[in-house]
Amino acid sequence: MPLTYPIVEQTLDNGLRVVVSSDRAVPIVAVNLWYDVGSRHEPAGLTGFAHLFEHLMFQGSRNVASGQHFSLLETAGASLNASTFFDRTNYFESLPSGGLDLALWLEADRMGYLLDAVNQENLDNQRDVVKEEKRQTYDNRPYGDSYERLVKLAFPEGHPYAHMTIGSMADLDAASVEDVHAFFRKYYGPNNAVLTIVGDVSEEDAFDAAKRYFGHLPAIPQPPPAPDGTIGPMTDVQRDDVESDVPSDLVTMMFRLPVDGTPELDAAGLALDILAAGQSGRLNRRLVRDEQIAQSVSGGALPLIGGVSFGTLTGIASDGIDLQTVEDALLEEIEKLAEEGVTEDELATVQAQAERDWLEQLASCAGRADEISHHALLFGDPGRINTRIDQVQAVTVEQVQAAARQWIRANGRVQVTYRRKEAEASETAGEQA
Amino acid sequence: MNQVLTTPPAVGAPRPWKFPEAVTTRSSTGTPMHVFDRPGQYVATVRVTIAMPLIAEPRELEGVATIMSRTLDEGTELHSANEFAAALERHGAAYGVDVSSDALHVEISVPVSHLEPAVRLLAEAITRPAFNQADVGRHVTIRLGEINQERANAGYRAREAFAAHLFDSSTRRSRPTAGSPDTIRPLTNVEVADFYRNNISPERAEILFAGDATGVDVAGIIDDAFSGWTATAGTALATPEPIYIPGNRVVLVDRPGSVQSQLLIGCAGPDRRDPAWGSAAVANHVVGGTITSRVDTVLREEKGYTYGTRTSFAAPRKGGTFSLGGAVRTEVTGAAIGDALRILREARDGLTEQEVQEAKDSLIRTAPLRYEQADSVAQQVGSNIANGVPVDFADTYLAQIAATTAAEATDAYRRYVGTDGLLVVVVGEAKDVRPQLEGLDLGELIDLS
Repeated sequence: MPLTYPIVEQTLDNGLRVVVSSDRAVPIVAVNLWYDVGSRHEPAGLTGFAHLFEHLMFQGSRNVASGQHFSLLETAGASLNASTFFDRTNYFESLPSGGLDLALWLEADRMGYLLDAVNQENLDNQRDVVKEEKRQTYDNRPYGDSYERLVKLAFPEGHPYAHMTIGSMADLDAASVEDVHAFFRKYYGPNNAVLTIVGDVSEEDAFDAAKRYFGHLPAIPQPPPAPDGTIGPMTDVQRDDVESDVPSDLVTMMFRLPVDGTPELDAAGLALDILAAGQSGRLNRRLVRDEQIAQSVSGGALPLIGGVSFGTLTGIASDGIDLQTVEDALLEEIEKLAEEGVTEDELATVQAQAERDWLEQLASCAGRADEISHHALLFGDPGRINTRIDQVQAVTVEQVQAAARQWIRANGRVQVTYRRKEAEASETAGEQA
Repeated sequence: MNQVLTTPPAVGAPRPWKFPEAVTTRSSTGTPMHVFDRPGQYVATVRVTIAMPLIAEPRELEGVATIMSRTLDEGTELHSANEFAAALERHGAAYGVDVSSDALHVEISVPVSHLEPAVRLLAEAITRPAFNQADVGRHVTIRLGEINQERANAGYRAREAFAAHLFDSSTRRSRPTAGSPDTIRPLTNVEVADFYRNNISPERAEILFAGDATGVDVAGIIDDAFSGWTATAGTALATPEPIYIPGNRVVLVDRPGSVQSQLLIGCAGPDRRDPAWGSAAVANHVVGGTITSRVDTVLREEKGYTYGTRTSFAAPRKGGTFSLGGAVRTEVTGAAIGDALRILREARDGLTEQEVQEAKDSLIRTAPLRYEQADSVAQQVGSNIANGVPVDFADTYLAQIAATTAAEATDAYRRYVGTDGLLVVVVGEAKDVRPQLEGLDLGELIDLS
């Protein structure tokens, strides 16, 4: 089913790519900026910087006081936030369409003049907030450090995906105001970003507004590209076995996968879905429903643009079941898929699920703006949002098996396991008896 | 030529907005069907909301409603559990259930092009479940594992302790919705099927559709799929008013190894029967509803104690709560609680005109965003039905907010927060936190492990 969302693109003289998709159904407009800087761009010693800016960008800029970005937009009826990922950082707000100028002015002021407001005081404060974010998201929950452990094993030291976006707290502690300023000057400018406007505004008015607020900002020197992360499938097995205070034993396997934007990555993603997605996936059927050796299974692909992606499979052992049994069953299913392939019906099921996910993602102006920025920034073609489903539907059972054979194998993986400490395990078992 | 603007551009007045309207009819079995046609929403949500007050559960079998709900789709008279999941997912549908204090919600989201077969499967799960012992037993085991996960989760532990110490033990809400090990373990398909027979029937249900209905006879499809539903269960029990425990007290839940303390501070609050429900929401927005509110301005932006806290007034059908929740690092737990309580109490002295106006603007103007997607319309309407208010209650709520003065917002807040004391729950490293609680005047200290 080809989609027909209208998409028009212009590039301003300073290099800012502006994409507009007009939709008058609801009286709101979504503004979404993707900056071509993520954790993969961070050199050794500066990990966590892209994410740190996600915080500093709300601390004011030349004409905006600290906290005013939030308060002005909230009063205008906006929902707003930002996010950082391996490949990029994004900043976004949706609000009643009468607030479009305000949103653009605020985004432009911090794109052009953030550093007027970045000083020792708010650097110190936001560093503390980031540490609390890390404690809350990684350290204070069971299995919270699993991805950190996995990417360290899956990619060589210094590889762009070998560290998480939250970064190292030691790097953040060592950062001076000048380091932070230098990072901003290197990456944050109109020619290193895509601005998307979706919703209740005409194309002409949207481009005029983009020019009005961003047109005067100077281009920055072409930022250095992220290091090339191209690397093939894994050829051995590496483990990180953790004994800790976890509620149940858990295993997560990680595989390298093909780079995003290729039929091979789509095929590999669908292979993982056939194993782990939904209630009808192979792992749920076997491990959870039929053999009842796992409480739950999950998994999927994480598409990345820097030469390689990765994917995971996770199983949580049922009480009283040795985690090795779960690991063995996961590996058996992985090998079975690679050797015997998948059925047309299985493939059609995960393709239908992917179609629903995609339509849901585009169902709001904010979601559509995010995907437009994504495809404009990482693939140079925002129009891909209208053909994305067809690409996924075009994948064949042969392609799924070929991708699985090459990338998702028992003898080419990294793995983290968490096992309860012996004393606690027997104590809990006693309670359950 | 471009001029750099040094002050914010003006914001144009928002277009007037109302909650989407439904076409409401009744199915041949008498169940109300509300159809929200949302052009451009290619993924529809179909939600069946069934009045199911948790007080219908026998005390010794609490959680039976949850196990019953989770096994509706695990095998029907027509399909095994594996077959049912495969059929539903082959149509691109996602299926889910939710149990709250007052109702069961069963729903699918599905591309409109696959609506009919997916609605048939939804109806099959609700009207013809098999409740085989193998499937029920498996879900009992899964629930016991889930309880282990909950015990390891600081946020969950805080909510559990909060409920247990805010409500009297005679109130169902003092205990977990999904039951405890002692009440889950005895459950078999016999108790589950009994509970289903006594509680699930068309006269207790309402069915919602939200999505692009262009050229689709939605009511006809739903009516057809549910036409064989002839069960009767009589009128649902009325939930009694909850009994709250008043007074200042602090509950310290030991979670060894914690690097943060999870806080939950609160008291009783209004529910939707109270005309001040909207005013309370305004006050909440000022005090702790956003990152720019009074609490986070100090705890996050000034002191860096937390990644963020939020307050909220929340309520099922009868009897609400106010709470402030968030995580702070262990070393500053006492200081953070002290600041939070001071800010909560000082707000009783009055919210300013400007704060209240900004909160009203934000709450009113974000409404079109909140209900842009089909699924969010279905979620809102389903909870309105569960809460015993009209399907378009969002309009009433927004009108209450629009009419709220600063004095009324302050009054609504003062009526609850800090009036009959505040319950403070801390989940963290008890040996490090306990000394920090001395001198804070939090009332009786209750230690839990």
